[in-house]
Amino acid sequence: MNIRVSFWLKTNRMATHMSKCRTWNRVHRFGIAAYRKYSSSGSGYPNISLSTPLPGIPKPVFASVDGQEKYETKITTLENGLKIASQNKFGQFCTVGILINSGSRHEAKYPSGIAQFLEKLAFSSTAQYGSKDEILLTLEKHGGICDCQTSRDTTMYAVSAEVKGLDTVVSLLSDAVLQPRLLDEEIEMTKMAVRFELEDLNMRPDPEPLLTEMIHAAAYRGNTVGLPRFCPADNVDKLDKTVLHSYLRNYYRPERMVLAGVGIEHEQLVDSARKYLLDAKPVWGTSPAANVDLSVAQYTGGIVKMEKDMSDVSLGPTPIPELTHIMIGLESCSFLEDDFIPFAVLNMMMGGGGSFSAGGPGKGMFTRLYLNVLNRHHWMYNATSYHHSYEDSGLLCIHASADPRQVREMVEIITREFIQMGGSAGEMELERAKTQLKSMLMMNLESRPVIFEDVGRQVLSTGKRKLPHELCHLISSVTASDIKKVTTKMLRSKPAVAALGDLTELPSYEHIQAALSSKDGRLPRIYRLFR
Amino acid sequence: MAASVCRVGSTVGRALAKSRSVISYAQSLLGAPETQLTALDNGLRVASEDTGHATCTVGLWIGAGSRYENERNNGTGFFLEHMAFKGTKKHTQTALEQQVESMGAHLSAYTSREHTAYYMKTLAKDLPKAVELLSEVVQSCSLNEAEIEQQRGVVLRELEEVESNLQEVCLDLLHATAYQGTPLGQSVMGPSSTASVIKSGLNLTRQDLVEYINIHYKAPRMVLAAAGGVNHEELVGLAKSHMSGVSFEYEGDVVPVLSPCRFTGSDIRMRDDALPLAHVAIAVEGASASSPDIVPLMVANAVIGSYDLTYGGGKHLSSRLARIAVEDKLCHSFQAFSSSYSDTGLLGIYFVSDKHHIDDMMHWSQNAWMNLCTTVTESDVARGRNALKASLVGQLNGTTPICDEIGRHVLNYGRRVPLAEWNARIDAVTPSVLRDVCSKYIYDKCPAVVGVGPIEQLTDYNRIRSAMYWLRF
Repeated sequence: MNIRVSFWLKTNRMATHMSKCRTWNRVHRFGIAAYRKYSSSGSGYPNISLSTPLPGIPKPVFASVDGQEKYETKITTLENGLKIASQNKFGQFCTVGILINSGSRHEAKYPSGIAQFLEKLAFSSTAQYGSKDEILLTLEKHGGICDCQTSRDTTMYAVSAEVKGLDTVVSLLSDAVLQPRLLDEEIEMTKMAVRFELEDLNMRPDPEPLLTEMIHAAAYRGNTVGLPRFCPADNVDKLDKTVLHSYLRNYYRPERMVLAGVGIEHEQLVDSARKYLLDAKPVWGTSPAANVDLSVAQYTGGIVKMEKDMSDVSLGPTPIPELTHIMIGLESCSFLEDDFIPFAVLNMMMGGGGSFSAGGPGKGMFTRLYLNVLNRHHWMYNATSYHHSYEDSGLLCIHASADPRQVREMVEIITREFIQMGGSAGEMELERAKTQLKSMLMMNLESRPVIFEDVGRQVLSTGKRKLPHELCHLISSVTASDIKKVTTKMLRSKPAVAALGDLTELPSYEHIQAALSSKDGRLPRIYRLFR
Repeated sequence: MAASVCRVGSTVGRALAKSRSVISYAQSLLGAPETQLTALDNGLRVASEDTGHATCTVGLWIGAGSRYENERNNGTGFFLEHMAFKGTKKHTQTALEQQVESMGAHLSAYTSREHTAYYMKTLAKDLPKAVELLSEVVQSCSLNEAEIEQQRGVVLRELEEVESNLQEVCLDLLHATAYQGTPLGQSVMGPSSTASVIKSGLNLTRQDLVEYINIHYKAPRMVLAAAGGVNHEELVGLAKSHMSGVSFEYEGDVVPVLSPCRFTGSDIRMRDDALPLAHVAIAVEGASASSPDIVPLMVANAVIGSYDLTYGGGKHLSSRLARIAVEDKLCHSFQAFSSSYSDTGLLGIYFVSDKHHIDDMMHWSQNAWMNLCTTVTESDVARGRNALKASLVGQLNGTTPICDEIGRHVLNYGRRVPLAEWNARIDAVTPSVLRDVCSKYIYDKCPAVVGVGPIEQLTDYNRIRSAMYWLRF
C-alpha cells in the first residue's frame, strides 16, 4: 500500500511557480495563501517562510565522510565478567543498551511467561526514579527514547539519546536492569497488558506469531526454545515479585551481560560502565548462581495441531476467506556454525510471500516459492520460508496457507519443495540469492538501532563481532555444493509440523514424514473405498 | 579481524568528543554531511547527501498527485504508479524485474495528493544502473493495453483491501469532507465504491495515462534525490546523460495552475454498528507547508502527543490527554496529526475508541486544543520542543528516510532545511507564540469531523462547534 497518509511531521507542498520554474533561486515566495499573514504583535517569532533560510544560524561545519564502515568494534571485559562493546559512527545521537543472555528458553524450572512480564515491566520505577514518567522526563531532556525487547534467548534494554547524555543513560540503564522496584501496582498493570496482548494475538487475522510458537513447541518438544515465548493464560496470575526475583538472581548476572553502544567513544563508555555497573548491587541480592539452566536445545521434531474456526477473522467490513495454515520445518544449524551462511542463502533462495503481490520488483518475485508454488497454484494464499537460528540449533520452516479443502495438496507441494532443495541450485538463482542477502544485510545495517543489536548479539554469543564486509565475503563464497551439503543434512532430521484452522484434510504426521524421506516428496497414496 | 581502525580526526563527531572548544555545539548539529543541490539545464534538480554507507537510495520525486486530477480522471496517478514497473520501451516486464532482483535492489513507488515518487534502494556501487532504470521507468513506460486491463483488477482489489483499513478510510473521508468540491477532496486511489458509483480505474484508458504523463512529468517539477554512499558529481553526470531529454515545455503553453482549495467545516458519519471500534477524526484548517506557522503547530502536536493501549506507561505519560485517556479508559489509541499542502493544510486529532466513550474522548480532545490556545505552560512547551527535535532527527535513520526527506524538501521549499535551522525555529516557540498561533488556527473555527463505526454516541456537530471556544469573560 503506497498511499502516504500524513501525520504530524509530514509536509507536502508543490512549488506554486510551475510556469517559471527554470531556476531554483531562492526568492521570497508568498504562496496563494498570502492573505493569511501572521498578525500577532511583537513576540519575536521569525515570520519567514521555510523556503528561505533563517538568518542568524551559525555557519555549518559539515562532516566529511571517510570510510566509517571500516571502524573496528572495540570490546573490553570488566573484572566482574561484564563485556563492553562499541562501534563508533558519526552523528548527534547514539544507541546504548544492555543485552542479557536470558529469555523464554531459560524458564524450564519456572512458570513460563517471565520473559513477557519483564518486557512489560522494563523501565518502570527503580531505586533512583520514582516512576516511568520520571524516566521518560529525564530522557526527554536528552531527546531520548527507551525500549525493551525479549525473545527466546536474549533480553535487550536499549536507549537512544543524544551523545552528550551518555553518562545519564548508562546510569539509567544500570538502575533499570539491576534495581527495578517491581511494585505491586506495576505488576497488576503488567498482568492486564499481558492479558490484552494474548487476546490480541488470538483475535488478529494474521496467525504468524501463533504459528511460530506452535512450530517451536513441535520442533523442540518441552525444552529450551520450545518453551512458550508468550505467557500461557493460566500462568498470568502465578507470577509475582518473589518468582521474578528468584529468576533474576540466577540470570541477570554480569557474566551474562553485554553493554553495547553505537555512536560513542569506547573509553567514555568504559568509564561510565565502571562508575555504574562494576560494583552495582542488584536489588535481589547477590548470591552464587544456584539454578542456572545450561541445557542445550534438543531438536525432537513432532506435530502440534490447533483446531480453530477461521471462518470469520476479519476485523473490518471486508471478509477474509477461511484459510488453514500449516508450517513444516526441519532442523538447520546454529548461527555459530559455518553452515549458517549457506542456510541463510538457501532461505533467501526459497523466499516467498503472499500470493497477491510480492510488493514490487526486488521483494523476491523470482524466488523458488514464487516461481514454483505461488505462480503455478493460484489457490495458495501464502507460501513463505523462515529461518530461526539459536546458539545451539536452528529451524528452517515454510509457512503456507490455503482453503481447508485443499490442505492435502498444499502439504504435498511443500514437501516436494523441500525435496527439491536437495537438488542442485541453478547458477543464476544462487547468484541472485547471494546478492539479495548481501544487499539486505547492508540495507538493514544502515540504521543505528540495527547496528546496536548486531554488535550486542554477536558479542553476547561469540565474544567478537564479524564486520559487515566480512559477512559479505563469506556470503559470496557460498557454492552450489555447500547448499546441497546442508540440505542433505537437513532432510535427514525429523520434521516438525504446526497446523492451525480446519484440519479435516490434514495428512497424518507419519505420511508427512514419509513424504520428506521419499525421493520425490509425494505423500503416500491413500485408497478410499468410498468416495 | 582484518579491518584496521581509521582514526582521521577531521570529522566533526570526533572533534566534538575530544575538544569542544574547536567547534561550538550549534555548529556541530550538522554532524551530517551537506546536502548538495544542482540544477540541470532543463530545470531538473539533483540533490544528494553522501553519508558514506555501502548502500544508497536514489529516486525521482515529482510534483504531481491526485490534486492535479479532476472528477473524470481521478485515480490516474495511482494507476500509473502500478503501470510503471510493468515494462519500458527497452526492458520488458520480466527483464526489468530480473535486473532489479539480480542487483539485490528494491524498487518502490508511492503517490500522494501532491507528490509522486519512484525510488530504488540498492548497493552504492550499482548507482549508475539504478539511475538508468529509474529514468527509463519515468520517461519511457511502455503502457501496453493487456497490462492495463490486468492492472485494473489489481487496483480494484487494492481498493477493497484499503476499505478494511479503517484508519485510511477515516482520513480519506476527512479530506473528502474538509475539501469537498475541490481537487484535494479526491482520494489518491480514485473514487471508491462508497464515495461514488464510478469505480476507480474502470474507465481510465491508455490515452488518459499518456496525457497525464505529458502534462505533469516535466523537468522543473522533478527532483532526482539520493542518499547513501553517493558522489554528487557522479550523480549529476548520470542525470545529465539519462534525463536531459525530459521536457520542460508545456504543449500549447497551457500550464496547470493549482486553484485554491477551500476548507469547509462539515462532517461525515459512516455508522456501522457491526464494527467493534469507532474511528473518529476532527481537524481544522492548518498551515501550508512552507508557512512559518508550521513549526509552532508541530510543537503543539508534540504537546498533545499520541497514545496506544499497548504503551506500558500507564498513567505516567507526559501528555495530559494521554493521562486522562488512560485513567478513564477513554480510548484505544489517539494521535495528533498534521498534513500540509502547498497552500493549505489539516491540523487534527484522530482517535479509536469503543462505542461508549466517544463523547468523552471528543470532549477531552477539544479540551486539549483549548488548553493549547489559552493555558499551555512552559514545561509542556519545553517537553513538546524536545520531543519534536528528537523525532525529527530520530526519523533520519537509514538512507531511505534521508532520501525521502531530501526529495520532499526540495519540492516543497526549493532547498533542504538543515537540522540547525529546524532547531532554531523550534527553539523560538515560546508559550505565548504557541498560544497565538494555535488561537489563530483552532479557536472558534469550524472543524471537519469524520466518524466511522459504531458512532451513535459521537457528539452532534453543533455541540462540537461550540466547544471550539471557551466563554472566558
